[in-house]
Amino acid sequence: MSYEMIATLMFSSMMLMLLTGQRVFGAIGFVAVVASLLLWGDRGGFDIGFAAAMKLMKWYPLLTLPMFIFMGYVLSESRIADDLYKMFHVWMGGLRGGLAIGTIGLMVLISAMNGLSVAGMAIGSTIALPELLKRGYDKRMVTGVIQAGSSLGILVPPSVVLVLYAMIARQPVGQLWLAGVLPGLMMASMFVAYIVIRCWKNPVLGPVLPAEERDIPRAEKLRLLRAGILPIVIFAVMMVPFINGWTSLVESSAIGALAAFAAAVFKGRMTREVFENSVRNTLGITCMFMWIILAALAFGAVFDGLGAVKAIESLFTEKLNLSPWTILILMQLSFILMGTFLDDTAMLVIVAPLYVPLVGELGFDLIWYGILYTITTQIAYMTPPFGYNLFLMRAMAPPEISLRDIYASITPFVLVMIVALILVMVFPAIATWLPEYVYNQP
Amino acid sequence: MRKLAYGFIKTVDAVNRRVGRIMMYGIFALMAVLLWSSISKTFFLPSLWTLEMAQFIMVGYYILGGPYSIQLGSNVRMDLLYGDWSLRKKAWFDLITVLFLIFYLGVLIYGAISSTAYSLGYWGTEPFSFFSGLISGSEEIGRMERSSSAWRPYMWPIKLVMIVGLFLMLLQCVSELMKDVLRLKGEAI
Repeated sequence: MSYEMIATLMFSSMMLMLLTGQRVFGAIGFVAVVASLLLWGDRGGFDIGFAAAMKLMKWYPLLTLPMFIFMGYVLSESRIADDLYKMFHVWMGGLRGGLAIGTIGLMVLISAMNGLSVAGMAIGSTIALPELLKRGYDKRMVTGVIQAGSSLGILVPPSVVLVLYAMIARQPVGQLWLAGVLPGLMMASMFVAYIVIRCWKNPVLGPVLPAEERDIPRAEKLRLLRAGILPIVIFAVMMVPFINGWTSLVESSAIGALAAFAAAVFKGRMTREVFENSVRNTLGITCMFMWIILAALAFGAVFDGLGAVKAIESLFTEKLNLSPWTILILMQLSFILMGTFLDDTAMLVIVAPLYVPLVGELGFDLIWYGILYTITTQIAYMTPPFGYNLFLMRAMAPPEISLRDIYASITPFVLVMIVALILVMVFPAIATWLPEYVYNQP
Repeated sequence: MRKLAYGFIKTVDAVNRRVGRIMMYGIFALMAVLLWSSISKTFFLPSLWTLEMAQFIMVGYYILGGPYSIQLGSNVRMDLLYGDWSLRKKAWFDLITVLFLIFYLGVLIYGAISSTAYSLGYWGTEPFSFFSGLISGSEEIGRMERSSSAWRPYMWPIKLVMIVGLFLMLLQCVSELMKDVLRLKGEAI
């Protein structure tokens, strides 16, 4: 059997296993060990699964994972973001669609404190969503705003997805994080622009707050601005030592987790229940990630052993005679397509080892590709039938929002994200300018 | 038989729950080690042991915490089809596919045991006979494997932790399998 055949067979049996609904790590791990046993017999075959565990242990940046997950849970469970929401509510409420714009702002700030989209999602759907619905905002637009906004969590630093990418692509995490800043802000402003245009054309979608609600004394308004200090402080204690090279990435994430925890304690929000929920869910989510990565590493090792990447590369460039750009665009398209039906975490750790070396082989900048990769993952997070954010939204949204609404809500935002993706593709400087500026300073 | 199954499920779930509840707080141990690492680096001499210690804690955290995460239902499934199935159909499919998961864990445990034997200085291909030889006295512990860092910790303790954790995970999966069997027999569990 040719290597391409084996690779295809492995992929299709994995897909089949996933469809049975068994836990994702079991499905992937099983295919990996069976393939390696068949390929390399009982010696090498037996070792590959456990070798992945040892490799995983030595992946130092992975230690940030539980820290960021813990941070996210502390922020969302303790509801210290309530004040932040209030701040945007009061300051932006006077505009058409202002609360939706404020929600995007809220999401950007939360993204700067945490590396996954879960926290933004939880905060958005429990705090912002009910308020916006009460004020007569269009439910589809609002649902889309929260899903799109929270997905910024993986693009704006700190970002767990970029940490995983950095390990796979062997690129410095610091540069990747900086590369995410401008595209993240650009995408947020594109969302805002979309909201402004929609609400300007059709004011019913986002009515202005009634006058009595806006009539808040100036002193009170200024007091609310203080809520904005917290995210800036948390972001700063985490990022400043890291960018200056005083602490490593992992140490910074621990400082960030401690800062979020301390903030919740000082605000008197760290109740027994919040503590229990955050600690327990951190274990659950970390285990989910780690076991999937463990299985996917074994899968990837078998793939590496087959030399599948090289085979695919030569298939594209020599046999099909495609230019690197055509291949890149095809890859992004297939990535989005796969993202719509593959589990996102699994996709992250399985597709990346296949695509990333290929991109390097074709001569593209891997920092820049990291951003394309992350934006594509964001899109995949939101597109049905599988989307991490979609599931979360379904679980957290109030009952008046149907699944149909959720599906319908994302379409315009996915289009905006695709535009952002194309912009970063055409103008790589959007991603690469900041890291080059910061790291090339004399 | 039925009683035995219930007893097994109850014991395994209780043990794994307790282990998981303890490991849950490992997040603070991890945080403490990392914070000490940044403090010592900034103000005193950098510690040699923090990096690897943190890695060991992380391994204990996710491997020993794994069974509890299964109890919590945190491990995602792809629910394109699964989500719409009846409880009975889910139980049938799980019953079969959990065997694949158990097979995977079995391979992992075998790998872990042979790697532990290596870390105790055994380079052959029969790890089980090495361990039984250790007990009966016909084999001896050889050159023990150490990590190639400045701290140079021995590697066998963490591998032992991994064996224990993987084994607990296996027991948890067997317990899940038994629950599915009982469910298919029409018992509420």
